Amino acid sequence: MSALSFELPTGLEATEPPEERGASRDGVRLMVADQRQDGLVHARFNELPSLLEPGGLIVVNVSATLPAAVDGRRGDGAPVRVHFATAARNLDERWRVVELRSADGSRPARGGPGEAIALPGATLELVAPYAAADRLWLARLDGDGESVPELLARAGRPIRYGYVPRAWPLEAYQNVYATTPGSAEMPSAGRPFTPELVTALVAHGIGVAPITLHAGLSSPERHEGPVPEPFAVPPATARAVNATRAAGGRVVAVGTTVVRALETVAGEPAADGRADVRPGEGWTNLVIDPERGVRAVDGLITGWHEPEASHLLMLEAVAGDDLLRRSYAAALRGGYLWHEFGDSHLILRD
Amino acid sequence: MSTAIITGASRGLGLALARGLATRDWTLVIDARGADALARTAAELSATTEVRALPGDVTDEWHRGALVELAGGSIDLLVNNASALGPSPQPRLEDYPLPELRRVYDVNVLAPAALIQLALPAMSARAAIVNITSDAAVAPYVEWGGYGSSKAALDQLTAILGAEHPELRVYAVDPGDMRTEMQQAAFPDEDISDRPPPELVVPGLLELIGSARPSGRYLAGDLIAAGSRS
Repeated sequence: MSALSFELPTGLEATEPPEERGASRDGVRLMVADQRQDGLVHARFNELPSLLEPGGLIVVNVSATLPAAVDGRRGDGAPVRVHFATAARNLDERWRVVELRSADGSRPARGGPGEAIALPGATLELVAPYAAADRLWLARLDGDGESVPELLARAGRPIRYGYVPRAWPLEAYQNVYATTPGSAEMPSAGRPFTPELVTALVAHGIGVAPITLHAGLSSPERHEGPVPEPFAVPPATARAVNATRAAGGRVVAVGTTVVRALETVAGEPAADGRADVRPGEGWTNLVIDPERGVRAVDGLITGWHEPEASHLLMLEAVAGDDLLRRSYAAALRGGYLWHEFGDSHLILRD
Repeated sequence: MSTAIITGASRGLGLALARGLATRDWTLVIDARGADALARTAAELSATTEVRALPGDVTDEWHRGALVELAGGSIDLLVNNASALGPSPQPRLEDYPLPELRRVYDVNVLAPAALIQLALPAMSARAAIVNITSDAAVAPYVEWGGYGSSKAALDQLTAILGAEHPELRVYAVDPGDMRTEMQQAAFPDEDISDRPPPELVVPGLLELIGSARPSGRYLAGDLIAAGSRS
């Protein structure tokens, strides 16, 4: 595990969208951690074009967020909230891995095998435990054949954890370029992008290319490895990534989901540690840690992650131990905000 | 931590192997048709390791999908242990009811093949597949035409899969006669208390699972001998 551990003060949790704090999406803070420079740079997200060189490529995840939380009642009438994960690989759309949460979503809750949970117009059966602590279950919707996506469209709301006291509409959880619904939680690294900022990047000579990776539930990842997630890297994106790097440009992933997708389709690394990518789609089990390293990306835009998050191992693989430690120390000292509505971190590799 | 799927894990060899893997810290995904026996097994094993138990029949497509889903992202071991003997006592081929014969093939051949198809994309490097076979797959025992021929098909399926996937270890293991419910069903009028308990086979299986042995067909007796040497 990563040696990076810290206490996250409550005051550094972003509790609402920046728009509600009187800023714009792209007005959040952006720390630039560049392996080629000694110091860290403190900027605003809307300065991104000037922080990247023309000829570079930004790769974004166009997966859109599902309203994946549904309120229900247990057999004894007690309220419970159900968080639906991404589609189950070998099962039809009535099946999902789910997490049980307390009625306000703030804490995990336990269930039992065979337990039936009453949802609006549907019943969910907990078929088998999916992981330790009776918190994650493989579950099946019973009834008239309604699928989980249909249920979510009808009765779901965005997943919200305890640090966000108010409910926000689904639009608050969508990236401006999101096109393909499927993520249980927002791929939030892209949240600060605005149409104006994307335009400014293009005008600056920086390309934008899409991948899709439907993000699963984040909470299991705090202590467990990343769950398998469905992804697609289109041929045009693979060509753009390879051409950019061949011409000396840098490829910057927007979010850990993009790193996971691109590294999944990366070939064996050459002597310099780099590898071309090929188009591909399917499910990825890839775990990126410092030992595995990264081959296909030269940088990463991401949020600020909780201690113990497996994402920190991926960040260490991109930034290296020293730069990551300095970044997090400076973020804690400088009052950067954590989580999906928080501030950003641009990591650039040598 | 490594993750194994074991079918037919509530009794006999499947249960003994699940216990053996549990003490070695494997995360276990187990199934059995009988929900009560499976729940007892899961409760017992949960004291030792993480267990995900799914009652159901390996011939059900949704059940197989759920088993693989429960294993999460990475499968290190798949043990196709659940088997159907057929009618007891077993009929000669000329009298074998075809629906029963089809059921034997569904459980012993098609279900393992289907589980393997689902599990392959999630199998880790050097993962192992263990298909439990029988000497009845090789020797022409009278009245073993259903079970024996189905296990012969499983043997060949194992051998070809091993050739197609040199990166994996694909084993067929003949455990030999054991003191199990299936053995009693096969020999309904005999006292089977002279047969060794399935626990005796487990050390050899564990040795094979942890080994770098090439894909192929193995006799449990030989594995135990090898295991005790090391």
